[in-house]
Amino acid sequence: MAALAALLASLPAAVFLSLLFEGIDRKLHARMQGRIGPPVTQPFYDFAKLLNKESVFPSSSSKAIFASAPVIAAASSILAGAIPLASLVAGTSVVGDLILILYLLTMSSIMVMIGGSSSGNPYGAIGFSRKMVMLIGYEVPLLASILPLSLKSQHSFSYHGIVQSQVGMGTCFAFAYPSSAFAAAAFLACIPAAAGVVPFDVPEAKTEIVHGYLVEYGGPHLALARLAKDAASFALSFLALTLFFYHPPLFEGHASLGGLASAILCVAFAPAMMFLTVTVPRTVFARLKVGQAFKFCWSLPLTLSALSVVLSAAGF
Amino acid sequence: MRQEGSAVRIGARSRIKSPWLFHLNTGSCNGCDIEIVASLAPRYDAERLGCVLVGSPRHADVILVTGPVTRQMLPRVIRVYEQLPEPKSLVAVGTCAASGAPFIGSGVIEGPLDGIIPVDAYVLGCPPRPEAIVRGIVTAVRRRFS
Amino acid sequence: MTGETRELEYDYSRLVVPFGPVHPALKEPVHFKVFVKKEEVVDVGLRLGHVHRGIEALAETRNLVQAMYLVERVCGICSHSHTTCFVGALEEIGRIQPSERALYLRTLVFELERLHSHLLWLGIMAYEIGFDTLFMFAFNTREAVLDLFEEITGNRVHHSMNVIGGVRWDLDGRMVEKVGRSMSKVREAAQRIREIFQDKTVEERLSGVGLLDRGAAQELCTVGPTARGSGLKTDVRKEDPYAAYGALEGSFSIVTRTEGDAYARTEVRIFEIFETINMINEILARLPGGSIRPGETIIRSMNRVPQGEAVSRVEAPRGELLYYVRTDGKGGLRRLKVRTPTLANIVGLRQMLIGGEVADIPVVVASIDPCLSCTNRITVIDLDKGGAGEPLRRRRRKWPH
Repeated sequence: MAALAALLASLPAAVFLSLLFEGIDRKLHARMQGRIGPPVTQPFYDFAKLLNKESVFPSSSSKAIFASAPVIAAASSILAGAIPLASLVAGTSVVGDLILILYLLTMSSIMVMIGGSSSGNPYGAIGFSRKMVMLIGYEVPLLASILPLSLKSQHSFSYHGIVQSQVGMGTCFAFAYPSSAFAAAAFLACIPAAAGVVPFDVPEAKTEIVHGYLVEYGGPHLALARLAKDAASFALSFLALTLFFYHPPLFEGHASLGGLASAILCVAFAPAMMFLTVTVPRTVFARLKVGQAFKFCWSLPLTLSALSVVLSAAGF
Repeated sequence: MRQEGSAVRIGARSRIKSPWLFHLNTGSCNGCDIEIVASLAPRYDAERLGCVLVGSPRHADVILVTGPVTRQMLPRVIRVYEQLPEPKSLVAVGTCAASGAPFIGSGVIEGPLDGIIPVDAYVLGCPPRPEAIVRGIVTAVRRRFS
Repeated sequence: MTGETRELEYDYSRLVVPFGPVHPALKEPVHFKVFVKKEEVVDVGLRLGHVHRGIEALAETRNLVQAMYLVERVCGICSHSHTTCFVGALEEIGRIQPSERALYLRTLVFELERLHSHLLWLGIMAYEIGFDTLFMFAFNTREAVLDLFEEITGNRVHHSMNVIGGVRWDLDGRMVEKVGRSMSKVREAAQRIREIFQDKTVEERLSGVGLLDRGAAQELCTVGPTARGSGLKTDVRKEDPYAAYGALEGSFSIVTRTEGDAYARTEVRIFEIFETINMINEILARLPGGSIRPGETIIRSMNRVPQGEAVSRVEAPRGELLYYVRTDGKGGLRRLKVRTPTLANIVGLRQMLIGGEVADIPVVVASIDPCLSCTNRITVIDLDKGGAGEPLRRRRRKWPH
């Protein structure tokens, strides 16, 4: 019951944090370009404004899919962000919830993609095919980089179990074993692709295909589609921090507050993760082409994750 | 009842704080267009007021129209204006869009713009300075959305 | 199942992607009909004319001074090139020889304009490949040049520097120093931009894209950096010197590359920035004394231009710009014909685009630095097709000379 209450409370928290993280990202991005940048609260204004706008349906679209896709996408992204938060706060563990989280993130990308292609706009169709290629590119190394953690923590696919096994070891996975260090590197290298930021934002490249699958969305649906993306990058950076960098001396040992304190600490440190994996790449790189992006995903992250799987199977 | 009032207030405030721009060239000489781009560059940085240049009219709140509205762009101006979801605002950037000068008298000019679609703010100048463009956007948004 | 798949593929292979007229990658309306197979471009149709404003016809109803303002507004990026070319033709017809100092100042603003245009273009190119940071950096650098324009001529974009027989504004010693200081700053920034463009991700996006070999470049009559990127050594400033370029011939060289891809065109422009900075420093060092324009009113200068015709050429930032001017001897124009560089270069686009990827379209289109407001020539009015069926409105009125 407590776990359910924690999950329910985590949902609005995940929405809030997703928007806040986007604000931090945009501010840092602007500062690195020598601009003042928008206020950190800007995404909240954007979100509220889009919710208050008229929603438009293109006549060539299949309305039911077009309208429901962003809702499902946002819901699954937010859930993917809320589950880790809730399980940290409540300290409960559910078998296989890590698989669920990654599945929800994939679900969210697929739903936005389907919604975009149902708009009947050719740019939406191109965005669909590009997103498909990207999905195949980053899903494999992303999933493979989780395997070593599961092997090292008694074959558990429970999110909380993996986090707690770091407490047991007294150090975080990124520094514990060579295999999990490679896994951490692979996971981090996949985040820009999974979050769809600039070097890998081919499916919604503004100058090439006019925001791709978002082209026909407007008003509340656009707000939800954007929220889905923000929540995905929040969830990914939060996962990266807690799965690989949950250094017990830093995050544990605040016994009076229990799980809540470590959850708050994790949230406080997650922007650093996001800065590293989202803000920096999108500031210092140019957009890749689909082929190049796919080649990147299947070279560096896949090699790293394959290496980590092999090493962990060999017991390192 | 009170709740509805506050929702309206939040809507209005967020609209003023986040005007997304769509740029439409209707025969401008590029002068105004590069000044619009310059207003987003570091020195003037319109993004600190929430202005973002978007690529699809469906995402936008404000259209910046430059140029004297040529004959061939006329149906497209109307179409793009209709594609914007409500509520929307329109800024005529540059003297061309506001009055048609110096192209008044040409047979292929349909402008000025305010004879075609409602204009919320005129930014005069050939081309106007980036500060003026940012000011024009803020004026239009305040006038239309609050 | 298989039938469905085939149908999907069939549909997909003949996907027509409209590119424009209103498109975020294009600051100006132009319409490309791109036929796409998977991600490959199979064919391209090009349609121009959306921003045709009838300037050539309009100029015939204006006097020479009014026409000067009009031709300046052909293009907001190379406005000084247009007036220099126009005024060059008028001076040839009227046999007016501007003073040395006026010619040097004209050249100075011309080269500053090339500098700002190339920096703008580098920024736009960075924007097309999704590199926002470089775009911001290039635009910030460009602001330094715009500040100089504002101090020299009073306006950031349309300078109104030229008058018949001279220039409007002079430079004092303090300004000469200031331009020199700014140039060293711009040189440093341009050096950094060059280094960033040599970065591997950027190079990967640009090299091998939009190929145009030397033969095709010559055949399609490309001009300017587009031609020079394909190995053609062509530059009006050397071939047919105007303004003060004859005297400055030794202070610059023509930059060429042989690869003929988007990266070669980028490199040509980056190295031209350095050539231009060198030339500006040379102009500042050699600036002769004297008056900057004839001591009579512009109306009198205008009325001194007799009936006649002339062709004038200049090397605008985008390539060769050509004006044909015929005056009526009463301070007005009989005929004005403008051949802008983009009109010559845009023909090469089809060849550059076919065989490339959809992702490359904005890069290739941007790589010729299209200036479409210069290029739009006609408005087709089809009386049979309804819609646009109403006859062309006769609103042209004669302006008093």
